[in-house]
Amino acid sequence: MSRIAAWLQERLPVSGADLRELTNEPVPNHLKRWWFALGGTPAYLFVVQIVTGILLAVYYQPSSTSAYQSVRYISEEAAYGWFIRSVHKWGATLMIAAVILHQMRVFFTGAYRKPREINWMVGMCILLCTLVLGFTGYSLVFEQLSYWGATVGANIAASVPLVGGPMKEMLLGGETYNEHTLPRFFVLHAAVLPVLLVLLIAIHIAIIRIQGVTEFHFEGDDEKTARGHFNFVPDHLMTELTLGLVLMVLLSVLATALPAHLGPQADPLSTPEVIKPEWFFYVAFRWLKLFSGTVAVLSTGFIVFVMFAWPFIDDWIRRHTRFNEASVWIGMFGVLAIVALTIWEAAVEH
Amino acid sequence: MEEGLVERPAAPVPERRDLLTRILNLGLVGALAAAYGTFAAYAARFLYPAGPARRAWTYVARLDQIPAGKSLRWTAPTGQTINVTRLGAGIGAADFVALSSVCPHLGCQVHWEAHQDRYFCPCHNGTFDPEGKPTGGPPKEGNTPLPRYPLEVRGQLVFINVPTEALVVRPGRTQGA
Repeated sequence: MSRIAAWLQERLPVSGADLRELTNEPVPNHLKRWWFALGGTPAYLFVVQIVTGILLAVYYQPSSTSAYQSVRYISEEAAYGWFIRSVHKWGATLMIAAVILHQMRVFFTGAYRKPREINWMVGMCILLCTLVLGFTGYSLVFEQLSYWGATVGANIAASVPLVGGPMKEMLLGGETYNEHTLPRFFVLHAAVLPVLLVLLIAIHIAIIRIQGVTEFHFEGDDEKTARGHFNFVPDHLMTELTLGLVLMVLLSVLATALPAHLGPQADPLSTPEVIKPEWFFYVAFRWLKLFSGTVAVLSTGFIVFVMFAWPFIDDWIRRHTRFNEASVWIGMFGVLAIVALTIWEAAVEH
Repeated sequence: MEEGLVERPAAPVPERRDLLTRILNLGLVGALAAAYGTFAAYAARFLYPAGPARRAWTYVARLDQIPAGKSLRWTAPTGQTINVTRLGAGIGAADFVALSSVCPHLGCQVHWEAHQDRYFCPCHNGTFDPEGKPTGGPPKEGNTPLPRYPLEVRGQLVFINVPTEALVVRPGRTQGA
């Protein structure tokens, strides 16, 4: 054993102390509260998505003539195909929900403030990347709503002034949805965006390690526990592993009880009577119905810009006005508006 | 003399060499930028669609098959339904209108609602009158009518210019099935 260790040591001169230093950042005590583990949740779910995604890619065929049949094959013939596809679908749903909850936690605890502005913006990129993954993923199923969702999405892109037209053609690989479209979505969904997301998550975590986790103190905490730390390994790792187990049970239950459904095949000649995107785009869809194309698109772009720049806007508000807690009220208004628009879109047919 | 030689490193030879190194470095960076830039331009052009969708003038009907004020629902080779309406008794292209069934708002398919005498788009509740003018929903706000296909009358025959290629979807479980 020691000979193997010596052999390894000679080639990889890393000591146990170095490893402990690398993996064992002291974690502030407030992380024992469960909602502070929400950042690890999407990361865990992303791993689930990579594993199930690779499995699905073995049978999936990104072509308009065979995509739907291959999804049907996965769902109905391949052993456990329905389960793997359902876990992938529910993993996506939970991942988006977890990213949003994590972002809300960071927002309402003010953890984006100086010096963490850059990491907030990296987090925004992760959110957008996750949403585009959701959009492209759903398009790959090539059922009616996949097809019409992609068509509507591409036309929304087209209503951006100046660059909209070329953007749409770049996305679809032509003037309209054509045989080059699905391979593009597949390459984005299964290669470009996952690699981008891995890089973004690496940067996100590296910045956390450089800056350390924000220290919070809550009323009622006595001085000793509030200032205390515990070890990442094994204490916080155990929390994350427990969470991983809970998520696996939750995913299995959801996948079994509510397996991914396969709607009618895409038909470019008939739009379904009721057309809805996935739930996480309900807000945007309702917004689009409230305003005409260009106004809706530009205002959405503006809202995303404000979200990106929020640490700086918040800083300006706190320095130049007396509304120190403005972010909490604006945040609450934003969350309520998003929830209201989502429920509105879910409740009505058109 | 020996000392004089020692003082010589200040002479212009190394300076010239510095300049040469700098020029070479600049050249290298420039060449790399040009090479990668060219490749990036090729890649962008590769990703951008090669050309516009193919279209062709296609025969629809004889003049006398569409009476004034009536519409003909015609199915294009790609399967698209195209409504060709004769607005007046004249025999010029201006007396006809060939309406696309693609909603100008976000590209969904509109369908004809006979009981309401209108085209309806299910995506965002857009409505159009029989001539394709927007009457409600986002198309009315943006004042975008249903797109028209170019139409020509050649002799006694009506032709329209339509796309000839469509997305091939293998028959499988479709809506009705």
